[in-house]
This record gives sequence, C-alpha cells and structure tokens, in this order.
Amino acid sequence: MNRNQTHRSRRWILKSLHLLGLFLIMAVICIPGLWIVLNSFRPTVEIMAKPPVWTPTFTLDHYRAMFGGAGEGGVPVFQYFRNSLIVSVASTVIAILIGMGGGYAFARYRFRFKNGYFVGLMLFRAVPGVALSLPLFIVFALVGLIDTHIGLILVYVAMNVPFTIWLTDGFFRQIPKEFHEAAEIDGCTRWQAFWKVEFPVARSGVAAAAIFAFLTSWNEFALASQLTRSVGSKTMPVGLLDFTAEFTINWGGMCALAVLMILPALILTFLVQKHLIAGLTFGGVKG
Amino acid sequence: MTEVTLNRVVKRYGKHEAVHGVDLKIHDGEFLVLVGPSGCGKSTTLRMIAGLEDISDGEISIGNRIVNELPPRERNISMVFQNYALYPHMTVCENLGFTLRIAKQPEAEIEKAVKKAAGILGLDGLLERKPSELSGGERQRVAMGRAIVRRPDVFLFDEPLSNLDAKLRTQMRVEIKKLHHRVGNTIIYVTHDQVEAMTLADRIVLMRDGHIVQVGTPMELFNNPVNTFSATFIGSPPMNLIDGVVTDVGTIILRNSLTVPIPAVARKQVVSGQQVQFGFRADNLMPIGHAVEEPGELANLELPVSLTEPLGTETLLFAELAGQEVQAKMLNPRPVQPGETIAFHLVLNKCHVFDAGNGKALRD
Amino acid sequence: MAKHLRVFRHSPEHRKKGTMRRRLPEWFVLLLPAFIIMAAVVLIPLVFSLYSSFTPYKLTRPSTLWRWIGTANYEKILTDVKFWAAFGRTILFLTIALNLELLFGLLIALMVNKVTLGQRTIRTILMFPMMFSPILVGFQFKFIFNDNIGLANNALQALGISDAAMPWLVDGKLAMFSIIFAEVWMSTSVFAVLILAGLFAIPRDPLEAAKVDGCTAWQTFRHITLPFLMPFIFIAMTIRSLDVARAYDIVQIMTGGGPAGRTELIWTLMSRTGYVDARMGLANAMGYVSILLSIAFTVYFFKKLSAARSELGFGDKI
Repeated sequence: MNRNQTHRSRRWILKSLHLLGLFLIMAVICIPGLWIVLNSFRPTVEIMAKPPVWTPTFTLDHYRAMFGGAGEGGVPVFQYFRNSLIVSVASTVIAILIGMGGGYAFARYRFRFKNGYFVGLMLFRAVPGVALSLPLFIVFALVGLIDTHIGLILVYVAMNVPFTIWLTDGFFRQIPKEFHEAAEIDGCTRWQAFWKVEFPVARSGVAAAAIFAFLTSWNEFALASQLTRSVGSKTMPVGLLDFTAEFTINWGGMCALAVLMILPALILTFLVQKHLIAGLTFGGVKG
Repeated sequence: MTEVTLNRVVKRYGKHEAVHGVDLKIHDGEFLVLVGPSGCGKSTTLRMIAGLEDISDGEISIGNRIVNELPPRERNISMVFQNYALYPHMTVCENLGFTLRIAKQPEAEIEKAVKKAAGILGLDGLLERKPSELSGGERQRVAMGRAIVRRPDVFLFDEPLSNLDAKLRTQMRVEIKKLHHRVGNTIIYVTHDQVEAMTLADRIVLMRDGHIVQVGTPMELFNNPVNTFSATFIGSPPMNLIDGVVTDVGTIILRNSLTVPIPAVARKQVVSGQQVQFGFRADNLMPIGHAVEEPGELANLELPVSLTEPLGTETLLFAELAGQEVQAKMLNPRPVQPGETIAFHLVLNKCHVFDAGNGKALRD
Repeated sequence: MAKHLRVFRHSPEHRKKGTMRRRLPEWFVLLLPAFIIMAAVVLIPLVFSLYSSFTPYKLTRPSTLWRWIGTANYEKILTDVKFWAAFGRTILFLTIALNLELLFGLLIALMVNKVTLGQRTIRTILMFPMMFSPILVGFQFKFIFNDNIGLANNALQALGISDAAMPWLVDGKLAMFSIIFAEVWMSTSVFAVLILAGLFAIPRDPLEAAKVDGCTAWQTFRHITLPFLMPFIFIAMTIRSLDVARAYDIVQIMTGGGPAGRTELIWTLMSRTGYVDARMGLANAMGYVSILLSIAFTVYFFKKLSAARSELGFGDKI
C-alpha cells in the first residue's frame, strides 16, 4: 500500500514540473517575438526611456513612417517587399520544378554513381553563403547580374535545389512503383502518369519543400547583402540595415519592418504546417 | 503462489465506461483466456493487469499485493504483444536478454537464461539476427522467449497470434500450450478467436461490452452457454437458433407450425405462451446414416438442403428449417445436390432453449 | 532501369532511331537542369575563387588577379594567429550551439509529447522561430541584449536581481553567451519539431514491452526511445549542418565580430577581409577553409544518419 502511495505522490510532482517546464519554454520562445511586435507600436521616446516604461502607449507612428516613405529614414518598404516577393516566389517555383525532376530521377531510376551525385549536390548546398558571396560577386559583376532580380533568383534556385531534391526524393520513394505502372497500363504516358498519379500523392512533400525554399529565399541575408545595391533589387532582410546609422538604430521602425517581414512567413507556414513536418521526416528518415 | 484477483475493476475514458466492474480470480498456474468480439474490454482488462492502463475503480492484486498504483516494472509480469514489440535495433540475443540486463543481472546469468529460452523455442540459429531479418513466426517466438527469460509471476498475451497466417497460427498455438505445460506459470491470454480460446484455455472468460458474460471451462461454455451470445460466439459453426413459442402441451411451436418437444432441462423453466429461441448445434442435427448415433431423445426431420460446404471428413449442410437457415454436419459425406431433401435426426437432449427477450438460457 | 535501357538499345527498331538522334537517359534529362544551375551559380564561382585564392587579388586593383603567387595566401592564413583563433572559436561555437540545440530540442520534444490538451497549439508555437530570418534574430537579440534599453537588463533591474547594466554585447564573454543564446533560440525548434515527429512515429508496443520488462522511465528512454529517435536527430543535425554558416548573419549584426575580435568567427573574418579590406584572394582562401569545415560537418552527419537508419532497418540510401 505504501509503495502505491509513493508512486502517486511522485507522479504528482512530475506533473507539476512538467507544466512549469512547458511554461518556461513557451515564454522563452514567445517573448522575443512579442517584444518586437510590442515595440513596433511604441513611440521611440518610450522605447529609449530610462528608467524603462512598463505600461506601453499605443502608436502607429512607425508603420505610418514606414509606409509613408517619409519621416525619419524614409525607407522604401514597398519596393523592398516587392523585391522580396518577386525573388522568393520566382526562385521557389523554379527550384521546385528543377528539384522535383531531380528528386524523381533519384527515386525512380538506377544509374552509376547515383550516391555520388546525390552527396555532391548536398555538399554544394553546404557551401556557406558568405564564402560563396565573394566569388559570386565578382562573377556576377562580370556578367552584369549584380543588383538584378534575375541574379538573386538564380542564386536562390541553386541554394534550394539540393534540399528540394532530398525531400522530394524521399517522398517519391514512398510511392509504390505500381502506381505509375497501373496508370501507364490504363493508357497514360509516363509524363501523364507522373502528373496525374505520382505528383498528387507526393504533394505534401512538395509543399514542404516549397515552404522551405520560400523561407530560405525570403530570409536570406549574406548573399543578398552583397549582390544587391539599390532600391530596385534590395530585399527586406537587407532593407533592415537601412534603420541602422553609424551609432544609432531606429528600433521602432526596424520592429515595424520586422513584423512586416515575419507576417507572410508566419501565415504561409501555419497554412501548411502539417505538410511541413511530414515532409521533413518522410524525406529524411525513410529515404 | 501467484493468483491474480480482479475486484470490481472499472475502466473509464472520460465519461465513457469501457469495463464495468469486472470480478475475476485467476488461479495459480491457470491458463485463462479472455475472449470476446473487438471492443468488449478484454484488452483493456489485460492492460490494466499489466499496468499499462490506469485503473479507474476497483482493485487488482497479483500474488497478494495490490498493484493498482504500481508501474508495470514492479509487477513482475511478462507480456507478449500482438505486433511482437521486438526492439528493432537489438539482435535476437539482445532482445532476449534485455530484461535481465535492465535488472543488472551478471552477464553469465543472462547468457545462460538466453541460451535456455532459445533452446526451448528453437531460436538457437537466429541469435545474431535483427528482428527485421526474421519471419513472422520467428518474431513471435522471440517475443515469447523474451517473456520467458524474465521468469515472471504471470504471463500476459495480447492477441499474440492474430498477425500470423492461418497455418502458422495453428503451429504457434501448439507451441504456446507446450510452453505452458513446461513452465507452469499463470497465463492470461487475450484473443478474439474462439478456436484459440477453446484449444488453449483451462478456463475461458467470455466478455461483451465491458461485462463478463460467462466464465468456465471450454466444455462448460460449449455445452451450457448461459445466453444466445455465448451460444453463437463459442463453437464453429455457431449454434442454430430458431424462433418459437412455448405451447401448453410441452412443445415449442416454430414458425411454420412445426413443433418440437421441449428439452427436459428446460421444461420447468418455461411458461406457456413464452417467446423463446430454440437452439442446437450443427453436430446435433445429423443426416440419418451419416452420423455417430448415440442413445438419446431424437426427433425426425426432413429438410431441403440449399448449399453444401465439403470440408473433407465432413460436409457442412445448409438446410431450411421453419423458414430459417440452419447448419448440419454430415460425417462420411456423400455428394448432395442443392435442393435435395434429406432426413435428419435432431438430438433433443442436447438442444437449448433461450428466452427470446433477454437471450438468457432456460435450464435447470 | 539501366538494364531496361540497354535492352531497348539493342532492339533493332530502336537502334535505327538511336542513330538518328542519340537519346539521353531519362534520369540524366531530369537531373540536367539541376546540374546546370548548380554549375553556373556554385561551381564556376568556386573554381574562380579557388584560382583567385592563389593570387594576391584585390578588388581595388583588378590586375592583381593575374599574378600567381602559389600557396602564399594559405601559408599566410595558416600562420595567422587571428585566423586560428577565429577558426577555433567557430568550432567551439558550433559544438556548444549544436549540443545545446539538440539537448533542448530533445527536452522540449519529450515534454510536448506528454501534453494532452492543446498540443497542436504548442506545436505551432514551437515552429515560430523557424520562420525568423537569421538577420532578424540578430537584430532582435541585439535589441533585447542592449545594455541600455534592452529587455534583458530592464527585466533584471526591475526584478531587483542586478542593479548595474549588464554589458551583454560589450563584454567578450557575455557577448559570446548572447550570440550562442540567439543561435540556440533560432535553431532549437528544428530539433524539437523533428524529434517530436520522431516521438510520434515510435510504435507504442516496444515502449510498453519495455515497461513490462522492468524498465524505469529513464531506462525506457535510454534503451528504446533514444535508438528510435536517432535517425530523426541526425536528420535535424544534417539539415542544420547544411546551414551552419547562417550564424554569420546573427554575429554580423549583433557584434560584428567584436568586441575586439572576441566573437570573431571564421565567416565574419572572411567577409571583413574580402569586403572591408578588399583582399579577395586572401578571403577566398579563408572561404575554402570554411567550405571544408561545412562539408566536414555535413558528411559526418550524413554518415551518421544512414548508419542510424540501417540500424532500425529503414531504407539503405547512401
């Protein structure tokens, strides 16, 4: 009976610790983000106040300044947003198309040095952006791709193709060969069989790959900061730097731009979060 | 001395009650089978004994310890799972020795115990393989070996054979029975297959909807089912049940005014005008000349046969009686044409009468 | 498939066709775009940078590109104390960060796995940091760790834990801590989310069998759960190792390698050498060291991943 009792009380203690731990984790994850959001709505005086003001005042000044393009700094947010969107979407679409073809090749065909090709592609992905940015800058300068959308799109496609191949390869491998065989017997060409049967089944893998590609392009800084120069091609991560001067940073304005930057990523990710996890694990574990 | 006692054990999931106050005493060394259709609470009951499910109400004791709050590891039990539950990253040898290694037994002990279990189950050649390299039957044997090695007070089996094909299942059934003879431990075995229950059990516990329907030896359940559920669940083919009404002249009148005498055991339990179901097993509806005739109260019937199922030593006949389909067993079978009318003997003293309302057996 | 193709070629009808226009194997056609783009955007610049790493190339003086100086740049790096310090610091940084991320990720996943109510919401929140741009994370924590107006100091002072302003990004050791904190904050979710997916994928039976076999909670975790999780852990590690260099963004923003080079990592050093000092040849030589470093990480975890997979009897890829 006594043993039964100790087990019961131990269970109770564990449960409380569990809840406390969860609370702490959620706090650490959420507070930095909330801090940014909160400060995007506070007047600069209050942000800079010493001692700190704990009861926030609400203002839309930073957003007004940001979208007005006027006021302090005068950051061309709309252009940055447009650039980011064009570059990210275009590079994602192209990377998915190219990557899906590659993934399908790895999943369905047997050829010599297959593993070698695969690892090679992955290693290209591992090349650090900073290390690549130096020579890429020179090469792009030579061919006149510096400060263009196309240049940046090309770079992001190359960044995203290997990972897309990895994910989609894992997914196509899950699909039994009989699927396309049956479709071909039923009268499809190989090409139709792919689009009508295999692609729909692997959709969540493709969705996951697309999200990753988009997020990578949307958030990339190291390469974009070197390959873009003007308002016409700068993306938002690079635009964040506009809020920094030699010794001061316009925190409020930066927070506002940060919120604008996170929102699309946030919405997109939540829309497909189920695919995201499935895509990652399928592609990797059972690969 | 390992008795397992369940004292008004209840399992609730939120508001839904899955097991309603089960009382059960399992004797030392007994092979007890919990059987019933899926969702009847048999697995839940087993898992409460194992400690894998919390007990909502009541008490379970193993030996003479109440184990309600004890984690599984302190109950000294072994369990064989439906999906074998082998650890995929360990070899057969490591799987078998795992429980002893966890208990920090000396390496020599472990090796001895593993060798012994492997010997009993014929796993000697497979010790270095991984589970993924084994066939279904081999995996099942490893799972059983792992249970033996622990030398538990009680073995629990949760539908261990349902993932095997029919032939292998019969083989493994024999092995499990042999194993019980050899180790002599208390075994609690869950299955939905009544054949497994009949062939393995010392005692069967038949469950439905979280209640115990009947407890008894296989023959008790077979010969004296307490209700129509028990009558149709145990035995293959299921017992034939025909609707009828009790008359005041000691007979039951079936639907198309055919009458049969009330079997002796039920005579005092029925009243005139009562709606009943008249039940008999296929073995007791015997084509004349194709059965082992025993002395007993017989009734003569002539029934049209609509379909036959030859099984080799016997043929199952599907005949029509009082507008309902009944099955009969024909020994030393001869070819029967569909539509042919055959003369039968019905062994009246082996027939049953059930109340049509609640399905309870009417018997002295 | 290759076998099939060969049969194809030998059949007479197809040979005729084959002489008219050589057919490339389908797999090659499918992979060709990937090969082309990788070659154009990664391989060519890398070859160029390999060449330039053997020259004293300076952006400001293009003619220097044509002077071959052999391995002088590499010799310079290998004898440079500053480079070695940055290199060592990078290794240390990655070791600490990756281990912490794994540890926290595992812990979080185990905790969330136990939650019954509101688990979906918690899982969604968990993915939150994954959407943040590294540079944004850098700014965010630069703000929070600001010694004057940052949340960290404000909170410490308000709670009465410390009166003085902690010089989070000014003191060398604290700056390193802050950077690791930011990095861990950003990347732990990848581990947590993947390990959580791994926990969901574990069949229930072996866990229950282990409980019945006499395992304590810790033993069950150690002997059953963890081996099952290994492939998931290594996927997370592999995904992370593809991207280790994104810590550059964070460090660049938060400290720029300062104070006094105390948080200088190989990537920040490289970018300063290249862009600020314009010594491209030298920077590219450093770049090659950093590439080798990343590749070493990736290959290592890839190997581990396939080993863990075959351990559990999953596919045999690579």
